[in-house]
Amino acid sequence: MPASTEPYVLNIGPQHPSTHGVFRLRVVMDGEVIRDLDMIVGYLHRSMEKLAEERTYTQNIPFTDRADYLAAMSSNLGLALAAERLTGVVPTERSQYLRVIFAELQRIASHAMANGTLISDAGAWQTPLLYMFREREKILDLFEMTCGARLTTNYMRIGGVSFDPPPEFWPALAELVAELPERIDEYFELLTDNEIFLGRTRNVGIISPEDAINGSLTGPALRGSGVPWDLRKAEPYCVYDRFDFDIPVGTVGDVYDRFMVRMEETKQSVRILQQAMAEIPSGPHKNDVALALRPEPGEIYSRVESPRGEIGFYLVSDGTPAPYRFHLRAPSMINLSLLREMGVGSSLPNAVVTLGSLDIVVGEIDR
Amino acid sequence: MSDQPLRRPATPMLQQIAARPTMRGTLLGVPLGVKVIGALFGLAFLALNAAIAYVVIDGRLDGKWYDFRDLGNAVESLRGWTEDEGFHPGVIYGISALLGGLGILSLVGVWLIIGPWVERRVIAKFQIRVGPNRNGPFGLFQSIADALKLMQKEVIIPRGADRFLYFVPPVMIFVPALLGWGPIPWAEKMAYIDLDVGILFTIAISSLGVLAVFLAGWASNNHYSLLGAMRTVAMMVSYEIPISLSLLSVAMLTSSMRLSQIVAWQGHYHVWIIAILPFAAFAFLFASTAEINRTPNDIGEAESEIVAGFYTEYSGMKGGLFMAVELGNAILVGALMSTFFLGGYTMFGLEEWIPGYIILLTKILAVYFLFVWLRATLPRFRLDQLMGFAWKFLIPISMVQVFVVAIEASVFARVTAPALFTLGAFAIVNLSITILLVKLWADRLGYAVIQHPTKPVLTQAVGGLRAAERIRKPA
Amino acid sequence: MDSPGIIVAFWLLSGITVLSALLVFVARNLLHALAFLVLSFLGMAGLFMTLSADFIAVAQILIYAGSISVLMVFAVMLTPLASRNNGNSLYVIPALMGGAGIAGLVGAVAMETDWAEHSGEALKAADFPSTVPVIGDLLLGRYVLAFEIASVLLFIALLGAILLVHERPEDERSAGQQGEAQ
Repeated sequence: MPASTEPYVLNIGPQHPSTHGVFRLRVVMDGEVIRDLDMIVGYLHRSMEKLAEERTYTQNIPFTDRADYLAAMSSNLGLALAAERLTGVVPTERSQYLRVIFAELQRIASHAMANGTLISDAGAWQTPLLYMFREREKILDLFEMTCGARLTTNYMRIGGVSFDPPPEFWPALAELVAELPERIDEYFELLTDNEIFLGRTRNVGIISPEDAINGSLTGPALRGSGVPWDLRKAEPYCVYDRFDFDIPVGTVGDVYDRFMVRMEETKQSVRILQQAMAEIPSGPHKNDVALALRPEPGEIYSRVESPRGEIGFYLVSDGTPAPYRFHLRAPSMINLSLLREMGVGSSLPNAVVTLGSLDIVVGEIDR
Repeated sequence: MSDQPLRRPATPMLQQIAARPTMRGTLLGVPLGVKVIGALFGLAFLALNAAIAYVVIDGRLDGKWYDFRDLGNAVESLRGWTEDEGFHPGVIYGISALLGGLGILSLVGVWLIIGPWVERRVIAKFQIRVGPNRNGPFGLFQSIADALKLMQKEVIIPRGADRFLYFVPPVMIFVPALLGWGPIPWAEKMAYIDLDVGILFTIAISSLGVLAVFLAGWASNNHYSLLGAMRTVAMMVSYEIPISLSLLSVAMLTSSMRLSQIVAWQGHYHVWIIAILPFAAFAFLFASTAEINRTPNDIGEAESEIVAGFYTEYSGMKGGLFMAVELGNAILVGALMSTFFLGGYTMFGLEEWIPGYIILLTKILAVYFLFVWLRATLPRFRLDQLMGFAWKFLIPISMVQVFVVAIEASVFARVTAPALFTLGAFAIVNLSITILLVKLWADRLGYAVIQHPTKPVLTQAVGGLRAAERIRKPA
Repeated sequence: MDSPGIIVAFWLLSGITVLSALLVFVARNLLHALAFLVLSFLGMAGLFMTLSADFIAVAQILIYAGSISVLMVFAVMLTPLASRNNGNSLYVIPALMGGAGIAGLVGAVAMETDWAEHSGEALKAADFPSTVPVIGDLLLGRYVLAFEIASVLLFIALLGAILLVHERPEDERSAGQQGEAQ
């Protein structure tokens, strides 16, 4: 005689500690078991794509800051690359390296945030989160030194980057790169052998490689499932083909694998940073490009590997300075689409941890 | 232009922290007069200590009303005095009851002001932060400010809530938090109600909170509250059993349920029960963290899952009362843990010199520090993991422990060997039995320590499903 | 019953107990009734305290106020129509009759008992240090059979509860087949 209870509806969010922003889950629960799960988005919709059709390509760069506000550099880079491919502008050699350095710094900062909040979702009282903020803080300091902003950087430009880093940037970066491996080892020590953390994350929220590909997942969520797909290797942009780094892939596809993939990627980013720092050439940081570029009529889809996955820009030009159509392929949005498959049938704590492991940014989902 | 720093140079947070005035820096700036007065006070304090040492060695204090080592003496002399004066005994008991009650109330009250500050500052240290340091010296008045804020806030009654049952639980849950302090001995004669059934009383009192928690969750008319209440009730009911079993072993070993006798037993043999019954101590500590909803067992109010659990809907001071009870329960458990397993007010003869209540307070704070440490470090268990741990692990092993202790207690009552030798043998036997049982039982249940959890594979390959398969099954 | 404190406590506690017991069946809401029931249990425990029966008082709190009440809460929660109000039941007349019968029985026993034998000077003469060892001796000595029968009964109840909710593998399979058929 299996005991059953009356199902009831639980609204998780839009104001809830673990939804990472104004995002709502409508969950039908039977006791502690999730019977159905709906994702309701749109609370942060700012009509970004429509607004972009009224602005020039350069004026659109700040919008990308506000889309993925935890990885502004990567989104900036995505738009700058798309606009360059559309217009045929070639960035300078030095700016290519600067782009790689800042994108990788942003990746470390974003992964620190993602893993920190995941552990907070698993119930740690914010200590690992604040530890990871220590490194993020230093990275944001580097951003502030270079472009004056910490979160919404607006740094990449068509044809280069907006500013060359100041002289005190390089020793600060060298210091950070030198201490990062030690810090990462510290996190491994604190977390990866922690029985409670392992118990909460292993074999929870499993995505098979087939499901991951069918669900069009990208980024750590895809690599956690064991598919070695990283745009930095698959379609090298900037100068990523000159650096030696590995793609970490998970073996099971659970929350723990996604967590560990992010940790390993942080290590690989440090490797890339070391090489980029050593090889960076001197020269101008930016080509002089007209502010109101008028690309030939045509369309382009360009993508880069943001910390959350493939961030793609689909731009259609009709010959005017503003894009005719501006579409952002938001990795968080698409990664989130598998949450229903993972959540239904599991319990509330598992669903919360799974959601945390997908590392969503609501600014990007709602745009 | 581009070579110039564009904005103000970055000021990392840690540098800002380092730039704060340090203790040494503050001392250097003290005027001479203050220093001299401070030195005089220090000398006076030393002299006072010497005087205390003299009267203690001389034995002049023993049992006098001014024997500061045991405030029970003062109450006893007061009782004697009133009896001599011919007051009715009811008055005498009334006076001592008032004094003791006042003591407990002021202890809990003062703790509710200092406790949040301690917890926040300690956790801030763990988290490389500063913590509250603005209100009053070292931020000590932060809790008062918080309490004032909570009192000013409107108490919102959710629509559809059961008004009567909604207002009862915050008060109801406070009763066990205060009553639990009753039987705890602070010195030889310093227990408020030195009950003959102290252990049972403790367990009974702790079981009273369950109903308040449930009613709070039910009356709020909120699914989060109900979920939290159900989780908490399930957990409290389950974890009462390991607590009872571990306290049963303590009672059998010391052949008493009176808390003061348990402490006296530990003081007499100069041994802490945690050394003899390590598993019982662990079970008690773990189960207590579940009972009082602290990390890693705080699933009843798991913030990232069910917001604040059973008191989600309580605003203002009503919610504040629940938080206060939690804080008070944390040191209550510290006191019980110290009393049952850590020697209580005794400290290997040190209680002759230092008042027992100060020793107990130190131990309570040490256990509390352990709680804060756990809270700052560990993630949270899941409900099924916790229930499984209680029913499949703690309870069976505790039961075996009870049988072993029963045998040991009867052996202890019969042998004539020196107690230290016998107890040492028990300690070794119990420790080995515990290790063996935990190992065997964990193997039986299929638990294994994960030595090297799966690490991501590093690869240079790029591709889709086929590449994934190649990585998963190499050649 | 010589000290005024005890007398005051007795009247206070019996007032609370009787009043809350009355409220148990006056209250319309089942959970309100339950809250008053717990209050009356606690009052009873207090009355035992005034009689120096500390073991029974604590057992009353532990078993009735702490555990039985939680059991009843779950029973109320798991019953369909849990929000149904108290009263208007078919069983009002039989329940009143049963209650009157029990009250009469207890009253008759109270009238018949020679209280002098068990109180006052006789109690002082008995001179036992505390109740727990005496109760323990009696439970494991004179009344050991009853004690063992009670423990076996509880054990069987525990086993029965486990058997009731235990899902055997074949059950799961059949449940799964039913699900597929649907």
